[in-house]
Amino acid sequence: MHEEIAVAGFGGQGVLFVGRLLAEASLLEGREVVWMPSYGAEKRGGTVWCNVTISDEKIGDLFITRPTAAIAMNPASLVKLEPAMKSGGLLVVNQSLVPSKVSREDIRVVYVPANDLATELGDDSVGNLVTLGALVTGCPVVSTSSIIAVMDNLLPKNQRRLEINKRALSKGCAWTQGN
Amino acid sequence: MSKKTLMAGNIAIAEGAILAGCQAYFGYPITPQNEILEHMSKRMPEEGRVFVQTESELAAINMVYGAAAAGCRAMTSTSSPGFSLEQEGISYMSGAELPGVIVNVMRGGPGLGNIGGAQGDYFQSAKGGGHGDYRVINLAPASVQEMMDLTMLAFELADKYRNPVVVLADGFLGQAMEPVVMREPVTELPSKPWAITGALGRAKNIINSFEMDPVNFPPRVKLLLRKFKKMRRNEVRYEGLNLGDASLVIVAYGSASRSALTAMKMARQEGIPVGLLRPITLFPFPYEALSNLAQRINDFLVAELSSGQFIEDVKLAVGLDKRVALVNQYGGVPLLAEEILEAIEKMIKQPVGG
Repeated sequence: MHEEIAVAGFGGQGVLFVGRLLAEASLLEGREVVWMPSYGAEKRGGTVWCNVTISDEKIGDLFITRPTAAIAMNPASLVKLEPAMKSGGLLVVNQSLVPSKVSREDIRVVYVPANDLATELGDDSVGNLVTLGALVTGCPVVSTSSIIAVMDNLLPKNQRRLEINKRALSKGCAWTQGN
Repeated sequence: MSKKTLMAGNIAIAEGAILAGCQAYFGYPITPQNEILEHMSKRMPEEGRVFVQTESELAAINMVYGAAAAGCRAMTSTSSPGFSLEQEGISYMSGAELPGVIVNVMRGGPGLGNIGGAQGDYFQSAKGGGHGDYRVINLAPASVQEMMDLTMLAFELADKYRNPVVVLADGFLGQAMEPVVMREPVTELPSKPWAITGALGRAKNIINSFEMDPVNFPPRVKLLLRKFKKMRRNEVRYEGLNLGDASLVIVAYGSASRSALTAMKMARQEGIPVGLLRPITLFPFPYEALSNLAQRINDFLVAELSSGQFIEDVKLAVGLDKRVALVNQYGGVPLLAEEILEAIEKMIKQPVGG
């Protein structure tokens, strides 16, 4: 298996964290993985992306150009990601913030109102986990149980954060299953 | 299988230094290597070792000089503009025969440049960017694991030769996270009878890089030159992939070699027999390995994140009768596998002599 995943949005949406969860879960499943962030004068509201390459083989290029799966958290991300997607790939679009539709017909698209679903859970900030759930259900690059195991490990001190993140993840999974 | 930890390249350098027994870290912040300094500011005190955030890179390298003179395993880390500032100190350390590790996580340049990854400090680092007849071993990691392993090796080689060693990485590798197998810590450090530790009961040690009378200085330079010769003989490191059946060899180091690896796989899927030679030491450069390859291979493609620096050493190694092409980016922009593949396709389509 060889998957190249892009996660993009603006600063504060938890884009890098979603990438980190994907990377840690892949490592847990015994795969090779590269996590590459955008970096610089990043700030809340500025553009942020990261890419995660997951493979059974040694990974070359640190960067990806043709994502096999991607999450667009905001409108600017969709503009960049849609033309870049590999044919047949899965694109998760955060419908809460992205009003436009994807015009390409050779890729799979899941529209998920991530921020609205997060707000229903009582915490607008976990929209990132909703999109992650939607992604791994549509394109099983890692299992949700691995992601949960990673979260248990990374967020041990804050039970409330941990629980709401888990619920957001499963809400995203359910959304893709139901659509 | 050993347990692996997901780690950023910069953190792997810091942890590698701690595992290698680094007793003192001195540094001044600069992106894209700030995570080294930040991590060391937490971990060195935890280990009961020295951490100093200095007022400048000049202070940092001269504190490394001082700590090394006192017999400590000492290091600094910086990025390109800071590395320029440290050249004077590195020359002094080589002249005074002091070990020390300098990490340069290269960024776009010249000038203030930008914080993207680059390899534009190749000449400065591999040829010796300070004044005088000196050389430093340059270790060029191409993965997060090597960020750790080569940092550990740097301390070992610095002590072995009593000379500074540079770990030459780039910003992309510094920021990337990959799985790392943690190494065993070095528990026994080499003794340093030459260090300035207080001369009570023994003859005093003198550490300097100065001779008033020019006639007295060449012997010291000769001593250094003998060490550099030993480095050339003993410390050349490189990795070769798919060289057996290759008709074209990509030569690349650091993060450029990662894109080259993908390009090589893509080319082979198209039926083009491509190999990869990756220098791990830039000084000493693997001239002999390349020269041997050139006995049966005519086409070499150099992939670098600079404007044609590294290619000069490749040309020197393979000779003027070989085709040596360049595919590159510079100024902080990554070189993508697809760009290298295009260059491969272009090169094999061109008739020899055309």
